[in-house]
Amino acid sequence: MSHAADHSAPDRPAVLAKVQPLKVLPRKPLVLNNRDFHWITEKICRIVEDPAPTWWWVCFFVSAGLATFLGFGLLWLVSTGVGVWGLRPPTFWGWDIVNFVWWIGIGHAGTLISAVLCLLRQKWRTAINRASEAMTIFAVMCAGIFPLFHVGRVWFAWWLFPIPVSQAIWPNFRSPLEWDVFAVSTYFTVSVLFWYMGMLPDLGTLRDRAVKTWRKYFYGALALGWRNSTRHWRNYEMAYLILAGLSTPLVLSVHTIVSFDFASAIVPGWHTTIFPPYFVAGAIFSGFAMVLTLVLPLRSMFKLHELITQHHIDCMCKIILATGSMVGYAYAMEFFIAWYSGNIYEAFTFINRAFGQYAWAYWIMISCNVISPQLFWFRGVRSNTALVFVICLFVNCGMWFERFVITVTSLANDFLPSAWGYYSPSITDIFTFFGTMGFFSMLFLLFVRFLPMLPIAEIKHVTQAADPHFHPDDAGHERSAHSAARPMAVAEGGHR
Amino acid sequence: MKLKFNHPAPSEREATGPRYWRSLDELAETPAFKDWMEKEFPAGASMLESNDRRNFLKIMAASFGLAGMGLAGCRQQTRHLLPYSKQPDRVIPGVPVFYTSSLPGADEHIPLIVETHDARPTKVEGNPSYAVTGGATNVYAQSSILDLYDPDRAQRSSRADGAPVSKDQVSDAIKKLGADYGANGGAGLYFLADKNNSPTRAKTVQKLLARFPKATWAEFEALDQNNPERAAETLTGRRTRPIYNFAKATRVLALDSDFLHSEPGHLGYAKGFAKSRRIQNGADADPEKMIRLYAVESNFSLTGANADHRLRLATSAIPAFAALIAAEILAQRNAGVSASAIAALKQAGSALKVDAKWIAECAKDLVAHAGKSVVVAGAQLPVELHQLVLLMNMALGAVGSTVTLAGLPERPATASLADVAKAIDAGQVKTLFILNGNPAYNGPGDLAFTSKLNKVKDAKGQIFRYGYYGRQADETSAHSDIFIAGLHYLESWGDGLTWDGNHVPVQPMIMPLFEGFGELEVLGMLAGDGKPDAYAYVHDTFTTLNPGKSFEEWLAVGVAGSSFAAVGASAIPANRVADLAAAGAKFDLPAVDANHLEVRFVPGISWDGRFANNGWLQECPDPMTKLTWDNAIFVSPKLAKEKFPELLPEGTVMSKGPLGLLSPQARMNDNTFVTGREIARVAEITINGRTIKGPVSILPGLANYTLVVPVGYGRKRAGSIGNGVGFDAFPLVTSTGNACAATGAVMRLTGDTYRLANVQEHWSMEGRAIIREASVDDYKAHPEFVREMDVEAHSPPIYGKDKDLSPQDKATQIPRGASMYETPANNKPMPNVAVWNTPEGLEKFPTPQQWGMSIDLNTCLGCTACLVACQAENNIPIVGKDQVMRGREMHWIRLDRYFASGPTKDGAYADADQLPEDPQVNFQSVACQHCELAPCENVCPFMATLHDDSGLNTMAYNRCVGTKYCANNCPYKVRRFNFFDWNKREIGEFYKGPLGPDFYDTDASQLTRMQKNPDVTVRMRGVMEKCTYCVQRIEGAKINARVKARDSGDTKVPDGTLVPACAQACPTDSIVFGDVSDAKSAVSIAKSSDRNYAVLGYLNIRPRTTYLAKIRNPNPAITGPGEAEQPLSRQEYDTRYGHKTEGEAAKPAPAKASAAAGAAKS
Repeated sequence: MSHAADHSAPDRPAVLAKVQPLKVLPRKPLVLNNRDFHWITEKICRIVEDPAPTWWWVCFFVSAGLATFLGFGLLWLVSTGVGVWGLRPPTFWGWDIVNFVWWIGIGHAGTLISAVLCLLRQKWRTAINRASEAMTIFAVMCAGIFPLFHVGRVWFAWWLFPIPVSQAIWPNFRSPLEWDVFAVSTYFTVSVLFWYMGMLPDLGTLRDRAVKTWRKYFYGALALGWRNSTRHWRNYEMAYLILAGLSTPLVLSVHTIVSFDFASAIVPGWHTTIFPPYFVAGAIFSGFAMVLTLVLPLRSMFKLHELITQHHIDCMCKIILATGSMVGYAYAMEFFIAWYSGNIYEAFTFINRAFGQYAWAYWIMISCNVISPQLFWFRGVRSNTALVFVICLFVNCGMWFERFVITVTSLANDFLPSAWGYYSPSITDIFTFFGTMGFFSMLFLLFVRFLPMLPIAEIKHVTQAADPHFHPDDAGHERSAHSAARPMAVAEGGHR
Repeated sequence: MKLKFNHPAPSEREATGPRYWRSLDELAETPAFKDWMEKEFPAGASMLESNDRRNFLKIMAASFGLAGMGLAGCRQQTRHLLPYSKQPDRVIPGVPVFYTSSLPGADEHIPLIVETHDARPTKVEGNPSYAVTGGATNVYAQSSILDLYDPDRAQRSSRADGAPVSKDQVSDAIKKLGADYGANGGAGLYFLADKNNSPTRAKTVQKLLARFPKATWAEFEALDQNNPERAAETLTGRRTRPIYNFAKATRVLALDSDFLHSEPGHLGYAKGFAKSRRIQNGADADPEKMIRLYAVESNFSLTGANADHRLRLATSAIPAFAALIAAEILAQRNAGVSASAIAALKQAGSALKVDAKWIAECAKDLVAHAGKSVVVAGAQLPVELHQLVLLMNMALGAVGSTVTLAGLPERPATASLADVAKAIDAGQVKTLFILNGNPAYNGPGDLAFTSKLNKVKDAKGQIFRYGYYGRQADETSAHSDIFIAGLHYLESWGDGLTWDGNHVPVQPMIMPLFEGFGELEVLGMLAGDGKPDAYAYVHDTFTTLNPGKSFEEWLAVGVAGSSFAAVGASAIPANRVADLAAAGAKFDLPAVDANHLEVRFVPGISWDGRFANNGWLQECPDPMTKLTWDNAIFVSPKLAKEKFPELLPEGTVMSKGPLGLLSPQARMNDNTFVTGREIARVAEITINGRTIKGPVSILPGLANYTLVVPVGYGRKRAGSIGNGVGFDAFPLVTSTGNACAATGAVMRLTGDTYRLANVQEHWSMEGRAIIREASVDDYKAHPEFVREMDVEAHSPPIYGKDKDLSPQDKATQIPRGASMYETPANNKPMPNVAVWNTPEGLEKFPTPQQWGMSIDLNTCLGCTACLVACQAENNIPIVGKDQVMRGREMHWIRLDRYFASGPTKDGAYADADQLPEDPQVNFQSVACQHCELAPCENVCPFMATLHDDSGLNTMAYNRCVGTKYCANNCPYKVRRFNFFDWNKREIGEFYKGPLGPDFYDTDASQLTRMQKNPDVTVRMRGVMEKCTYCVQRIEGAKINARVKARDSGDTKVPDGTLVPACAQACPTDSIVFGDVSDAKSAVSIAKSSDRNYAVLGYLNIRPRTTYLAKIRNPNPAITGPGEAEQPLSRQEYDTRYGHKTEGEAAKPAPAKASAAAGAAKS
């Protein structure tokens, strides 16, 4: 970087002394304390290689226990009938679809962080992208359970795929649920590929460091023969870019299509054109909240403060603030449109949401989603990790209630008052939902335990050490963190 | 045989010439090479050679054997279809056979046609040959088929210890009875039977009594409905029945009468009533010709629901009211009644505080239409009141025109239950023979008949019991010494009379499923007939009653002419008014207020408890209260506000108005069901020391201090369905006095709560234009009013020049919607068959008929017969109370009931957002509307619900995986989901899944499955279902039409030959079904009415079921709170959404507003 050129060189043309380079605001370092490559490798690989801490075991058994609820819940559901859930006419979709949309929304942040921010050259994404991608994948898995199992005869769910079978009946391509199948499965596939692909160099590192035989085989198989050659790096970077390009529209499309489940129906409260952007904003909102919910505890447990810095948290809080305000705008706009449309059914639905029998859910949603993130305007709040964590929990909760409000209140009081009803979940609904939470945390804990939680190679990209113009004695100058490092040099830490 | 290939020996030249060889092996001539050469083909070609044929066969046999052993488990069980070796006449497998019969009843038999499949009855329909009901049925007739296959019915006769008794032993026991009592003429022999109007039974009973002249024959009905006849008898001196002809009437006053629903003859009455209420177009609307119904009642009956003016009044005040209005009518008509008598009548009713103007105007209206007006009183009211009613009708000139007096066949007087009880107390009863009925359960509380039965036993007396339900399913049978199993009416011979005296048969459709006796057989045996033959008895009666007519033809047609004698109006002496007036005590007014409540007993869904084990009935929502599986103590909102405020709904912010932000008009009405279930408080009612306990529910529209209690619930021994459903109110009923209302009751809330299964959680239409109604005057002035309501008033689903086309044109000719998907046009041949699209092609292959339905809200009474008929036709399961509380009832037809309480005429918004005290009520039967642009279809990812070329929204159960998306997207919410295996699991076992018992494995299942309609799939869990317009009937009719058409191409199903089950059952013909593409079909004519509208038509979903708006005919002279020139729901709509019709908007609010409003509030 030219502006970082050495002013004290004796043979410099004199004219250069007159040139005053533009004052560039210093960028915040993405890895604190000028840590070198080896330290980073050690820090991240140790998480996987050291014996699991006690808290990990406690958490793992608790979440595995919780995950059995999911198993039993689904077993009972499939063997007995959908009636074990609390669904009741007119609310044919209840917690099942609420949970589906909620989980899918959470599954947005990962790919957004890894793909969209990658393309936008937001280097601060590196510290958190791996964990959030893992979160995405596990969240989509949890999400997929609900639409799959909420059907009456799950053993025929494969009819959703356009397979030329003897029945000669195609699925209905006009149905938003069919679009969901394609959207979610594509998203899941691409996310998994992206996640796994991105992990290859780090898996190579883990393999090379492995001492125990099973680890050698385990990581050896997973690393797909990663040899750290330039050719590998070249292909890797190309593939990474392509997948980032592929994922970016998917980030927008998945939740857009999920919102079509509602928007293309005629139910008042569902039938609105605002849904796609509103859902995507909400998904990013909830996704980032979930990333923070997961990353903040891990950061303090594994002492990752130098890798996941206050700057990272700041950035995420700002995104939460922005998307939370968008969601709030959407809530307001829904009311306006309901009034402006002159449609009495629409108008009633929205007044009823706010003041009817489900008003409690609506106001939980508003206070969690619209009011609580506004605290992020204050730097003091953003830098208070505990407060950030609590607000993120509120946002998670609020986004669940948003889906509940949309799904349930619209159905419960739609066109004909004679068909109105009040939905409440059964114990099985509740257990199944918490079961997915257990399933999710179990998978996430396994991920933390067995895979590199932070991208080793990528973090090295953004260290000061990766800057070829970097000189340790230059410490007084703030170095740009986004210097283009040569991959070979970055990955060097893996070969010691 | 293995052939050796011998290499030819080398020729000499070869032997001597240079030697060529192909391999070293050949050169060396090794044995291995020689051996190899021997084979015709090289290696691998003859692998099998190592196995000779014997070996080969061995291996093959072994592998076949193994394969056979392994595959045996994969074979399906072999079942043999045995065709008839000799085909019986008229039996074609798969084609149902229909027989005539009739539903027995105490006062009338309802003529029926019974559909049988392979000799098992599956469905009951009204007999259209009987013009009075024209093929209508009620819920009891429809559900009676289920009782035939009730697993809890008595399957054997039995002794007191429950040991089975054979038919011969029963005959012997009866013979012994004859021998025992033959000598003393039957002294000490008591018979207690239900009422039945069968002439054959009457004859057999006479024979029996001739054999035992000293025996006592008593008859008992818990819900006696014969007071009008008793009153007529006192006036005419002979058994006389007043029969009304509402088709001729234009003004009707109903005094606590439910003649449209629960009184005998109601099917014919409903039909006549609907006939005078039907209007085609605004131009035909005439308040003079259209019937106007005034109702005065305590309960909110269906008759009251259909009234144009309804006055809430305690039942005990009805006689006083009748005296007042009779005085008015007699005075205005100058019917030759002395002024003193009229004054005495007025005096008799003077204590009653009631709107005098209402009475005066009502009387004036009746008098002005003399000859076409009629007064009807509830059958439970006292005889003196009925006498007065008859005299009023005479004065109104009704007798002979709107009232016919029919002379009933004379029958000897019978004893009553009270007489039998008295005899038991006196120790006179040696043998008690109870035929049918269930006095141990539904006997009046003061008789305590169960203890009487024990008394008989204590005195070493013997109790014979003949009944359909045995010891486990009947309280009376449980007390018997000898229980004789009875037969269902579809298994036995009999006969009966319709309400107007037509002789109808009761024909068996099926051999008795279990060992039992027909009632006539038992009576015949008792009468001394050694080999009783019910068929012969009926034949004999028929020839006596209908000399010269063919018995076979009677069985085929199902009805013979009336045998009632005509009684002239002159039979009634007019001067009886004076006597009645003198007997003013009969019109006394007992004190009824918040501390002295009146209890009004009304028949429950199982009538007097006799149908308690019928699941269809128990799950059939009461039309007014929408309760299933329970009765309740119904109280008026006023009583709740005054005395029991804890009963009132809490309401939400929405109903109270958040911080006063919502205007009263925008508020939602109070909802009792904030938790989804009705959680009722339990109360005790005490009268004269007798107490009953039950849940309390608020029902708008009741008289202020009347508690309405349905009877027939709370049976302890009714069977698996009926046990413990609701609470028993019979302990409060007395054998003396007014059996249907008691006064002086005290209600006290206990601390308990109880959950009620209510299928409709919200009572208000919220000002939406779902049911559109107008008063007849307004309709006349604005015949287009339905089009000016709801959102489509601004954006009609069909725009431009086509918006005024007839519905059938819209349905078939207009491109359907602006969809990006091409929707096939229904009046064109299939797009891929080009040759059809020619004149010749269209003639040869006519386009499919387009099915549609019209429901006339103006004549729909809310009787719910359509709902049960649909259940019977379409194999709709019941789901039990628990699941109904979860809203999962499966009825394809939902009968919506809305209370309306708009602003009253004075502009006050009295109880608009609270439970209304004096509401108007509307009914709307909602099933799948078969939208042409059905929103359910495009959202199904599996293509399980699709449109067919005749406009049906079809449902492929096989393809349905159950995403339930279609149900969410259905704006009418008419799709039903099988949350559990309703058919495979029993009620109460749903949540056990595979761990619970499989109902299909039980014996009971063998019985209940016989009822199922073989033309309709029984749905499994996880699939969606809904109304199909009875597609099985449509297909049947199409097949018939094609068979008939042969090669002619005239395959259209003629109009009227195809009727879905709901339309067939409808007593008022409100439901019309047919081809909407044929402008001449009945349904097209109905839809061409200017009252025709589509509910939620603005959604552009274009439903094939459309509704005809309701027209009320209020008397403009009657004003006051609750009386308005426009129906209340219409006013609520106008106020809340401001879509006033032009004339309405201009009209200023009447001036006298505030005074009346003040009165209403105070």
